[in-house]
Amino acid sequence: MPIYDYRGMALNITELDSEYKGYFDGAMKHKLVVKKCSEMTCGMLRGEPGAACPWCGSLNWEWQEVSGKGTIYSYQVITHAIMPAFRDWVPYTVVLVELDEQSGEPNPGNGLRITANLLNDDMEPEDPENVGIGKRVEVVFLDTDEGFSVPHFRLSDEEPAGEVWRYPV
Amino acid sequence: MEGRLKDKYAIVGVGETEYSRASGRSTRALGVEAIRNAIYDAGLTPQDVDGMLSYHGGDSTPSTTMMHDLGMRLNFYMDCSGGGSSTEALVGLAIGAIEAGMCDTVAIFRAMNGYSQVRIGGTGARAAAPIGGSDLLKRTYGVASAVQNFAFTFTRHMMEYGVTGEDLAHIKVTHSKHASNNPKALMKQRVTVDDVVNSRWIVKPCAHLLDCCLETDNATCIIVTSAERAKDLRRPPAYIMAVQGRGVKPGGDFHYQYAPITRVAGHYIGPRLFELAGVTHDDIDVTGCYDAFTYTTLLQFEDYGFCEKGEGKEYVKSGITDLGGRRPNNTSGGHLCEGYTHGMNMVIENVRQIRGLVDDYCPNWENGEHSYDYAEGGCRQVPNVNITMNMGWAMPGVGSALIMRK
Repeated sequence: MPIYDYRGMALNITELDSEYKGYFDGAMKHKLVVKKCSEMTCGMLRGEPGAACPWCGSLNWEWQEVSGKGTIYSYQVITHAIMPAFRDWVPYTVVLVELDEQSGEPNPGNGLRITANLLNDDMEPEDPENVGIGKRVEVVFLDTDEGFSVPHFRLSDEEPAGEVWRYPV
Repeated sequence: MEGRLKDKYAIVGVGETEYSRASGRSTRALGVEAIRNAIYDAGLTPQDVDGMLSYHGGDSTPSTTMMHDLGMRLNFYMDCSGGGSSTEALVGLAIGAIEAGMCDTVAIFRAMNGYSQVRIGGTGARAAAPIGGSDLLKRTYGVASAVQNFAFTFTRHMMEYGVTGEDLAHIKVTHSKHASNNPKALMKQRVTVDDVVNSRWIVKPCAHLLDCCLETDNATCIIVTSAERAKDLRRPPAYIMAVQGRGVKPGGDFHYQYAPITRVAGHYIGPRLFELAGVTHDDIDVTGCYDAFTYTTLLQFEDYGFCEKGEGKEYVKSGITDLGGRRPNNTSGGHLCEGYTHGMNMVIENVRQIRGLVDDYCPNWENGEHSYDYAEGGCRQVPNVNITMNMGWAMPGVGSALIMRK
């Protein structure tokens, strides 16, 4: 029963964890993966890796690598760390990223949205003043010395498609 | 169509412990005191109550212990897992249990040492626990507390509708005025918009310290029975017109996959509630709108339809929600100022408003004598309250609601 250490936190990712184990297995190969419905007539991806397809009800699924590119859909800058593991990271930014794949499908406003931290090139928290809804991001992988890895995002060089918004605090 | 059970059931007793940050005792002792207070408030004895419901997050004491301590013989009990928005939903379940013939009178309680023991804000032992299951995609990224879990909705709403920290601060200011007339309130001092926006940041850009509720030690209890049984009890009944919950957005939307993420559960369950009650927003005299954070209040006013989407910031600044206004909200001070109870104190307050027996600083409030002077340290009874509404919140995607009448 693997328990991974990440920033001093014990991540309990068991063999029976059919929802989340694959996400971190993918990360350890530096692949960002999501679940894909295996039904030929559906094939929808899902951002939250549940046990059934919320669109067609199928129980059949497989992990699918995605591009890791997306747009910041919402964000928060945490200045008061609840968890001891994050006290040396404050202020740290958490982003809700809408991946490029399947944006606006199957209904307007739906999308594959992934939560992660926004990091800089040194794999430290990005300056909170640089976050903004609408900014383009790409996946990065933060590896531990023990070979565990966690997907995060960093700002990309791509120009945003529309306006960028950040509340000025 | 109006509900088949409209006005057939009532809340006949309410009770609580003191709201403190140093209860100095167990949730067992707190719960027993609150249940006992509510039972006696109704003019009943523990032997007259044969049903019990509670809710908890692994931080309470079960019904089996409470019934032992109070010498009760129950025909029905159940302990449910859950926090905010459980109160209103359990009122509905209590009605269901009575309607099914499982029991006649139900005590619903919540007991917690939300500051001294299992801190509601998530610090302490819970913050250092091993992480598994769906928490792997949240806590691994430092998203652990309630406001951190809700913040994506709040921030996105600020962008889409131009809400500012000053707008949100008005909610705290209003509730603090109400709490200043509540001898039970944990935080009685009135605050200003500047006090709120100058308090330290918890989560940017949506929550300063004073936008957050108060971690509190307390227990609360309400008694539900049939309108028939309610007739000859000690207090005027608060009749239950309609209840909904816990209702959810598509898929519950705990992970923000469904748009708009600025929409909360009230959008879905509000129309059902008003239809069952056979009333409109104009008929509501007092609201109790869950204020775990200033933002939960603002979002629910919009999505239950007390104002248009995006106009919540105007609604909370208009004076409508103040004592003396058209439709006062959280007249006890709510979670932001009276104390955090996972919702039950705001149902208790509305029952007292309906009775005309709000426990303010008026010397003869117990006789229903109120000054209606809402200056600090004065009255908080709203005159001629006929109909109240409670809006309970668990998550952006999960809520419950309740309409009661005189």
